[in-house]
Amino acid sequence: MTSLGSSSSSTTEYVVRVPKNTNKKYNLMAFNAGDKVSCSTWTQARMERDMSNRRIYGEEETPDGAAGSEFGKKQREEARRKKYGIITKEFKVEDQPWILKVNGKAGRRFKGLKKGGVTENASYYIFTQCADGAFEAFPVHAWYNFTPQAKHRTLTAEEAEEEWGRRNKVVNHFSIMLQRRLRGQERGEDEEEEGEKGGKKKKKKEGRGGDLRIHDLEDDLDMSSDESDGSNGDDDEAKSKAKKEKGPKGKGKKKKKKASDLEGFEDSDDGDFEGLEVDYMSDESSSEEEQLEKTKPNKGEDVPKGIDEMSDSEEESEEENKNEEDGKEEEEEEDGKKTPVQVEKKKKKDSSGESDSSEDSDIEGEAASALFMKKRTPPKRGGGRGSAGSSRTGSRPGTPSIDNAATSNTLRAAANKLEQGKRQTTVPSSETPAAKRLKMEPSPQSSSGKSTPQPVSGKSTPSSSDVLLTEDAVRRYLIRKPMTTKDLLKKFQTKRTGLSSEQTVNVLAQILKRLNPERKNINDKMHFYLTE
Amino acid sequence: MSDKGEVDLTGAKQNTGVWLVKVPKYLSQQWTKATGRGEVGKLRICKNQGKAEVVSFTLNEELTTVDTIGEKSSMVRAPREHPFTLQTVGGQTLAVFTENSSDKIALEGLVVQRAECRPAVSENYMKLKKLQIEELSKPMRFSQQLDKAVTTNYKPVANHAYNLDYERKKKEEGKRARADKQQVLDMLFSAFEKHQYYNIKDLVDITKQPVIYLKEILRDIGIYNVKGTHKNTWELKPEYRHYQNEEKSD
Repeated sequence: MTSLGSSSSSTTEYVVRVPKNTNKKYNLMAFNAGDKVSCSTWTQARMERDMSNRRIYGEEETPDGAAGSEFGKKQREEARRKKYGIITKEFKVEDQPWILKVNGKAGRRFKGLKKGGVTENASYYIFTQCADGAFEAFPVHAWYNFTPQAKHRTLTAEEAEEEWGRRNKVVNHFSIMLQRRLRGQERGEDEEEEGEKGGKKKKKKEGRGGDLRIHDLEDDLDMSSDESDGSNGDDDEAKSKAKKEKGPKGKGKKKKKKASDLEGFEDSDDGDFEGLEVDYMSDESSSEEEQLEKTKPNKGEDVPKGIDEMSDSEEESEEENKNEEDGKEEEEEEDGKKTPVQVEKKKKKDSSGESDSSEDSDIEGEAASALFMKKRTPPKRGGGRGSAGSSRTGSRPGTPSIDNAATSNTLRAAANKLEQGKRQTTVPSSETPAAKRLKMEPSPQSSSGKSTPQPVSGKSTPSSSDVLLTEDAVRRYLIRKPMTTKDLLKKFQTKRTGLSSEQTVNVLAQILKRLNPERKNINDKMHFYLTE
Repeated sequence: MSDKGEVDLTGAKQNTGVWLVKVPKYLSQQWTKATGRGEVGKLRICKNQGKAEVVSFTLNEELTTVDTIGEKSSMVRAPREHPFTLQTVGGQTLAVFTENSSDKIALEGLVVQRAECRPAVSENYMKLKKLQIEELSKPMRFSQQLDKAVTTNYKPVANHAYNLDYERKKKEEGKRARADKQQVLDMLFSAFEKHQYYNIKDLVDITKQPVIYLKEILRDIGIYNVKGTHKNTWELKPEYRHYQNEEKSD
């Protein structure tokens, strides 16, 4: 190595050697600058050839000999290929891509594809400086372009097509992958785990708002009307609001397999979701409307079943209490069909806070009978409550009832009703609840259809609470026809008598003791009647 | 083997910087002719304020002879001076890894500088290029006139040897005779033991029976596949099949 000094620049000469017999083949590993790959940060790395293409070249192997094989198949195939001039490429290990794994399982993965045409017209050499200052040049054998491989879940082609179709409607893109994951979970789990999922989804909803429940919607309304941080559990309420609106988009709904099924089916009715914050008016409301519509039929199915259960589970000892609750709950269930009512109840529920929860837990403790309940309503109702809901969820398994979930839901519904009754000292204060009550009353009658054939509608004057729970009233009823305690309770609704559920139960019990009516078993139910 | 996939990261850790140089084909050819330790030339780097400004490579004298086909080799010589054009590594992170003969992978270093080796334009170079172009422009196929006609391949013959053999074979074999039905069945069953599907021609070959007779027997014990992957093949009827144990039942 000779150095020539000069004034401003220095020139140095180095010998260049091209080693002849190296057993090492030099290759290039090219990363995109944007991937920010820094080789110095690698602690350990593994690299192997990606052999996944081998089977393509291997071709389908038909069974050799015995079953499924043909005589002379191979020769015939070969002859056929020659005739048509089909040349199958060989599987060359040299040309296969590399799989590079950096920093173990949690690190990055790269795939290195061979770049063609590198050595055709010019050769690349790697000049390394040796210890003695000379340069050694090694020819580059191959050039591989390495790209990082995504570790996160991606959409498949079908899903991507779907999402593309919905791109204008979907605002919250974070929920897309969440829904996909949940869908995967659903398909893998049993029906009976739906309850758990409901609970999970409750909590998830609080965090993510991607789930799909009616109560999500109710929570929205609640939030817009009252400020409740508990119901959300989210720090950023605005975010959760936005997410909840997306929630009703219909992605996580248990019974619905595909989110895409939900959207774009129905027109929204006017005034249904007026209080809602919506980003895109038309689309939002339509999807939400669909949801509600879908829940309604779902609930509808459960109602008849529920009523049977309710009737079956009556017991004399706790009759009064239970019946009252049953009556309330049955009504609640009917109520449940009409979402606005539920909404309102939820409103009341949420704003009631602690008092409500305590009442609910009382009722839960008392009611040992199985009351019909849809499995879904528990999570729904509970979802709006945040901590209260979760505590109730906890207590639910404790209650020894035939259908735990059903019980608590109805109870909660009952509690709502009670609260409603309490809150509205004057019944006509709000027309809508009254109107809904009106709707409610005929429907329980029509659906139960067992012991109270006469329509209550005649008696259901919406504006006056003139039905007092007196002995005379009870006697009148029992003389007319045999009734179950449940039916009796229905007659004396808390809204109209102004009594709480407990009070009604107690008073009715006393009255019945005094009257000492005859008992008869009709359809396996204990009916009371008087003959005078 | 856990060793196999492991990459030796010493080069990356040391942050060894290498140069990636694009070299013309003829030059790399000359380099392969190097003898001894492999010294091919000298690299002159002129630094101005630390940065490598002018880089140039000079090919050794003895390597300038070009091996050409046809033309006299002394006429053309490879140029000696090759200035390097320096380029940035920019949009790519280039690393160099080596593969052993024993499939051991090692990371040698990172590319810090890219360069292109260009020949200094000279008379020599032009001649060399001209030669190259001439060679390349020659077509791969060309027509050549022969002096004598080719008479070695085939001659007209009264009857080809192959044909004679064929006729002789046919005569000696004679028409196929119908053997005992039971024997034929045995043959068929043993054949179907080996393979499930057979072409009628292959069966005729195996059993040496006339086609019509064979077909009759086959109609008894087998079915003819018209559609599907094994079309136009015969296979045994299901009740005769017993492929799991690789047996057949009568």
